Amino acid sequence: MHGFLLGLANGTSCLALCAPVLIPFLLSEGDNVHQNLVTLLKFLGGRLLGYLLFGLLAWAVGGLLLAAGGYQTLLIGGTYVGLSVLLLVAVFRKKRPTPGGCALSEAQTRFRRWPALIPLGMGLLAGLKVCPPLLLAFTDAASSGTLGGSLLLFVTFFLGTTLYFLPLPLLGAFTRMPDLRIVGRFAAVIVALYYLGSGILLFAGGVQL
Amino acid sequence: MTAQALTREGTPRMAIWKALLLTLPIVPFAAAALANDLMSGEAQLIEIIPSLLIWILLTVFFFRMLVTGKTHRYRSALFILLAFAVPLYLIPQLFELYGTNMLTPEMTYAAKARFCPMTMGMVILPAVLKGVVIFPGAIVEGIGWFFLWIGASLVIGRGWCSWGCIFGGWDEFFSRLRKKPVVKHVDRKWRFLPFAILLAIVLLSAITFHPIYCEWLCPFKVVSEFEAPTSLATTVALVIFPLTFFGLVVALPLLTKKRIQCGLFCPFGALQSFFNKINIFELRIDLDKCSQCKRCFRECPTFSLDEGSLVSGKALMSCTRCGQCVDACPKGAMSYHIKGTRIGISPNAARLLFLYPAYILFCGFGANVIADALWRVLRLITTGSMI
Repeated sequence: MHGFLLGLANGTSCLALCAPVLIPFLLSEGDNVHQNLVTLLKFLGGRLLGYLLFGLLAWAVGGLLLAAGGYQTLLIGGTYVGLSVLLLVAVFRKKRPTPGGCALSEAQTRFRRWPALIPLGMGLLAGLKVCPPLLLAFTDAASSGTLGGSLLLFVTFFLGTTLYFLPLPLLGAFTRMPDLRIVGRFAAVIVALYYLGSGILLFAGGVQL
Repeated sequence: MTAQALTREGTPRMAIWKALLLTLPIVPFAAAALANDLMSGEAQLIEIIPSLLIWILLTVFFFRMLVTGKTHRYRSALFILLAFAVPLYLIPQLFELYGTNMLTPEMTYAAKARFCPMTMGMVILPAVLKGVVIFPGAIVEGIGWFFLWIGASLVIGRGWCSWGCIFGGWDEFFSRLRKKPVVKHVDRKWRFLPFAILLAIVLLSAITFHPIYCEWLCPFKVVSEFEAPTSLATTVALVIFPLTFFGLVVALPLLTKKRIQCGLFCPFGALQSFFNKINIFELRIDLDKCSQCKRCFRECPTFSLDEGSLVSGKALMSCTRCGQCVDACPKGAMSYHIKGTRIGISPNAARLLFLYPAYILFCGFGANVIADALWRVLRLITTGSMI
């Protein structure tokens, strides 16, 4: 219950942190509300995975990771670069001509389908972005002492924050307007470039976000 | 209906006595340049002369707009003059106050910077959601700007970008230098870039609590103030600002003869476009008069007219009401129009009703700035120093 309430109290921050990635992506990719719901579920799945990893870490290393400020910066920088790469791939992959009619090998088919996992990857990286609410949850989980307690706290934290994401698939209602899709694609590239620059600067030690 | 006297280009000409009479309401607003000098009570001749000159210039230009029926020609000259005046006005002021126009983060967060209305899009969301004003500028000044911006935007919509913006004259200047464009076609999809930048910076500013556009992209940092290079991030930004200025304000306008920064990049312009949807003025094409020569959308500096406009008879929502298409149309088919009225009925009255608030806005922003810049130039000539 504590994790759920913590998530509920900080959900707007989590939504705000994920919105720059998620909103342009949903505008540029989703054809309708249903497809956006599927994309959102993948994204949330990735986020849950990221939170579970944090739960595992919290149990394994307790407060050690929090004390190691350098690693924290590297982790954030890494997630920023990863997020930007995934966003750029998501935007530009559709520009490639899609071969049709010929029989493709199973391996080729799988390769063509892998971008469907992009929302999952973005969710995972968004889940790994260290933000104040997550640090709070991390501290609580680290002090719980057991693996089950730590994971449960992060699962309930995830559920609390997820409530705020539920209206997002409605953006699909607007993506039928082709002009908005162009705006979404451009915005995704800009956000990706921002995260790429921020990630590189974090690696270089130039900024403290 | 009585036949109107026409200029050589076919636009309606106004009788001189009528133009003089209609110019009178502008005279006190044009005097805004003098207000500071007169109120100080200790103004010297060198300070009063520039203000008097600007007062006369603004009054004469409005009169000429009415007499000739030409809007863009006079607006553009003043608009460019204002843009060139801004650095001459702002930078010496900063040097007087702080000895530099490079502000440190401490000075920035102590609200030493002047408020810039271009930050409105980034400021609103954090202010509404978190109650935090993220613009690193004087908040009291910002609140004043906020109400001025809302009021002016409701009245003239995106007309702000051609009548109120203090920077837009820079790319307008460079877009007018060549007679013919080198790059004649710009893909339609680029028109959506300002909206994408607006969406991205609003979202990113809301999470970072920093005005992302100002910190990373604004080309006009080159002609105003900027953050001192105290970290790798601010050093990188110092490299980006001249690049965006040269690319978007100098090179691309020169090549395309379009206001690229205003039409294809500025997120504040994108925000202003939404006001075009709710205010009463618009630019319309009288399809009965139109000869489909397409001169209007070749001339439009902000890509606000296209093939679709020749069918719908309307400019796009990004129209800045600069009047260039109205001046250029050989058939007089383009006109300022009040929504809900019939096309072609009293276009002069609609133009006049638009010109008053637009010109007053320009006088409010520009008169004092241009007069001060002129005074600084005179001071430089007479004393060898601008400060």
